[in-house]
Amino acid sequence: MRLEDLVYATIMLPLFGAAIALMGKLVHRNRAFAKTLEYIGAGIGLVLPWVGLTMLAPVVFSGGIVSGIVGNWYEGVGIAFRFDGLAWLIQILGYTIGLVAYIYSLGGGPRGPAFTTIFLIQTAALAATIITTDLFNLFVCLEVMGITSYVLIPTSKKPGASLAAFSYLMVSASAMVFFLIGTYGLYRLTGALSYEGIAEGLRTIGGRERLVSNMALTLLVSAVAIRVAVMPLYGWLPDAHALAPHAVSAVLSGVLIKTPLFALSRILGLFSNGPDVGHLMSIAGGITALVAVVIALSQQDAKRLLAYHSISQIGYVVAAWGMALQLGIDTALGISLMAAAYLHALFHAIFKGLLFLSVGTTIDITGERNVYALRNAVKIMRKAGERIPVTFITFLIGALAISALPPLNGFVSKNAITYAMKDSMLYHLLIAAGAGTVASFIKLSRIYLPGVPKLPMQRTPEGRRFKRVRLPSRWIAQITLALLCIAGGLWTPRLVSLVGRLIQPSFQGTLIIPALYSGENLLKTLWTALAGVLIYLVIQHPIPANLLHAIRTRPRNFKGLFVSFSLGTAGLAIWLLI
Amino acid sequence: MIERALLFTLFLIGFYGIVGKKHIIKKIFGLNILNNAAVILFILEGSRIGTDAPIMDGQASAIVDPVPQALMLTAIVIGVCITALSLALAVHLYRVSGSFDIDTIRMRIQDEA
Amino acid sequence: MKENSKRSRYWSRFTTVIAIVAMAVVLLPIFLNDTSWPIEARDYLAHSGTEESGAINLVSAIYLGYRVFDTFGETIVLLVAVLGTMGMLSRVESLVDTSLEEEHTIGSVSGFSLTNEKRRSHALRTHLLEVVTGKIGPIVLLFGFYVMLYGHVSPGGGFQGGVIIASGIVFLALGNPQEGSSGISNPELLVRLESAAFLTLILVFFSGLLIGNGFFGNPLAHTQIPVGYIVILNAVIGMKVGTSLGFMCIAMMGGGS
Repeated sequence: MRLEDLVYATIMLPLFGAAIALMGKLVHRNRAFAKTLEYIGAGIGLVLPWVGLTMLAPVVFSGGIVSGIVGNWYEGVGIAFRFDGLAWLIQILGYTIGLVAYIYSLGGGPRGPAFTTIFLIQTAALAATIITTDLFNLFVCLEVMGITSYVLIPTSKKPGASLAAFSYLMVSASAMVFFLIGTYGLYRLTGALSYEGIAEGLRTIGGRERLVSNMALTLLVSAVAIRVAVMPLYGWLPDAHALAPHAVSAVLSGVLIKTPLFALSRILGLFSNGPDVGHLMSIAGGITALVAVVIALSQQDAKRLLAYHSISQIGYVVAAWGMALQLGIDTALGISLMAAAYLHALFHAIFKGLLFLSVGTTIDITGERNVYALRNAVKIMRKAGERIPVTFITFLIGALAISALPPLNGFVSKNAITYAMKDSMLYHLLIAAGAGTVASFIKLSRIYLPGVPKLPMQRTPEGRRFKRVRLPSRWIAQITLALLCIAGGLWTPRLVSLVGRLIQPSFQGTLIIPALYSGENLLKTLWTALAGVLIYLVIQHPIPANLLHAIRTRPRNFKGLFVSFSLGTAGLAIWLLI
Repeated sequence: MIERALLFTLFLIGFYGIVGKKHIIKKIFGLNILNNAAVILFILEGSRIGTDAPIMDGQASAIVDPVPQALMLTAIVIGVCITALSLALAVHLYRVSGSFDIDTIRMRIQDEA
Repeated sequence: MKENSKRSRYWSRFTTVIAIVAMAVVLLPIFLNDTSWPIEARDYLAHSGTEESGAINLVSAIYLGYRVFDTFGETIVLLVAVLGTMGMLSRVESLVDTSLEEEHTIGSVSGFSLTNEKRRSHALRTHLLEVVTGKIGPIVLLFGFYVMLYGHVSPGGGFQGGVIIASGIVFLALGNPQEGSSGISNPELLVRLESAAFLTLILVFFSGLLIGNGFFGNPLAHTQIPVGYIVILNAVIGMKVGTSLGFMCIAMMGGGS
């Protein structure tokens, strides 16, 4: 089997699985047969690609790149693709979270052949986004990714979910039309749609046309930035991620907000303006990390709190990624930052997925989402059938990971990022955000501990305090992710250099690896944790509490999404002109 | 030149529809207009380099650029799908909240949730 | 109170204007750009497009040959949109339902529903509409099939033909004097056809593997009729697009499953 076929097998297999699962929808009479078809489809789509990825591993690890044109057509018109270390890493990320979230959905999420089909299509779209090096193909892949999200979010049957999906659809679809105009601008200037062709065409253009290419680049970056949800473009994310079904939230937060970012890095690497864009995005990322944590502290819905944390953590990733682009991916610091950004993206997907799934199980059993109203969840879950508090333990692992405490994976990746940024102002923003993260997870963990709630708890319609749910598949998913968190923490010094080598195989020097267990680092971690505890105690007082309440109830509407989009785009354009 | 100015105006009208109007169906109209303006821009500008349709039946000498036309086939279909899905969501929102006005819907859904 | 709402209205208009002006500033240079349109792609295709792909229609050659992966992505978007629309609308009664009929009851529009006809009557659904669309429907369907299958030699192809087929299906549904949908306008049948078309499309793409041309390669490349690949793809895509759009229109009309 040729290598190009293997590369495309990772995309075609989930689609083949989706077609088979869809057949299950049509077989009404025999339910068992329909279910078998669905599981066969899911197996083909989520398990078989691992075989492909394993076979591609030797190629990628030895620095090789599989690139070419889909179908071997003429390169000036055909679709170019490129499978290198970065693509392999992102596909590992996508397939891990996809498989675990699907297992969870067998017990806890939406069921049915339509869900399986769309879930598999979403996974295939993620894989395709990262290997494409053609601008219009990127447009199509982003649209497929988007439309699967718009359809999966309302499957949780909450009324707010339809409104969240509608807002996300409007803002994302109009952003993609702007992307199309950007493509028009670049095609007119260069006559090519592939990244290489465009970069080459742009080398020879003059002054006025440079303005056009800058504006086109602005539109492209802005359209992708909406999907990544950095400030000020984050407005759609809290509602969408909080109201989606739990398995879908895990995939949305874990994979869908990161893949467009890394796909964008392929484009920016070839533009001469790439470093400037990276610079602005890194500043935006740092501000996002801090501001989102402050808003997260004020939330009272458990999943919405987690959603704001997703925004904050993607701020970390964008800050590191932006700075890596600014310094150039051929310098030691640049590669280290890009590797740290990828590692944080991977580890965040794992621990955020874990948090969404365990908090989701808790919400399903207790019927309560409000963190001020829910207390003593461990006891309630024990009454509902969970003798060993698996959900609480997995939640605890996730919370410790996101607060960057050793020896878990969050500790490693956050320190990798901040270590490499030591000399810049962003360092302080990220440390402050770290303290805020600790504070808000103390707040969230209280739902498991005994105590007196500030608000009365809701009861499920039967009058009982809990609902029985199916536990085994939820447990499998949660435990898998928890083990991955721990494994990530233990293996890591070698992971940073490994990832760095995969991302840029031609680099010969040594990377900057953080000294994780040095006295200085551990002391910094301790200070951050103590600062977090202090912040938590401070917000119990009325004056900060009122401030947080004002932040939570600030007016947010549909129009705000578009105003921030326009202003963000214009801001980037002005930044590029200066 | 005049065509591009008109398309620019159309584009801004579409964007105004999405941002400035409160009725959900009008927002969906705006998105549609936005999409169509982009499609027409591509095809119009691509047709300036030739005079014949890109069908090589022996008589075509200076054909227009076929690449934008092929790309826009895809873009049009994607636009139609997005419109259909957004209309389905609009119907669902109307049933849940009883109104087509985006602010009213947000208020009523938050009361219910 | 009046002050407040006037102020908030001014603020609201102000933010709209700011949003539009900001985007206009970014878009203007791109729209006004006067670089001459690149001709390399056109020249290459005019020269070798027909022999490489086998189709006379160069646009078909592009979207079913050079850039067939984009077309595949687009059919996937169609599939997901249909599944999503079906899921959303099946939770809802159709808007054209009996509660609205009170304004247009049989008493006031008795001319439009004869006594032994069993169907919902609606003011817009006149006999003229039914007779005309019912008779034209099959002709439109036939025309759609023609456009679909001749896409490689004339302007047309899978998408164009599929859209015409969809409108043919809608005509037949409108022209049906009975209550339930029957024949090709049956939503169940349409969904089944669409899923079958999706599976067929994937199998066609996989078939390129068997000949050694890789995914999306032409399995008929070394036979007598390499253009057969394009005809088959046109047909499958036409069926898919036709049944998808037809289903979505019928679902919104109130015939959803």
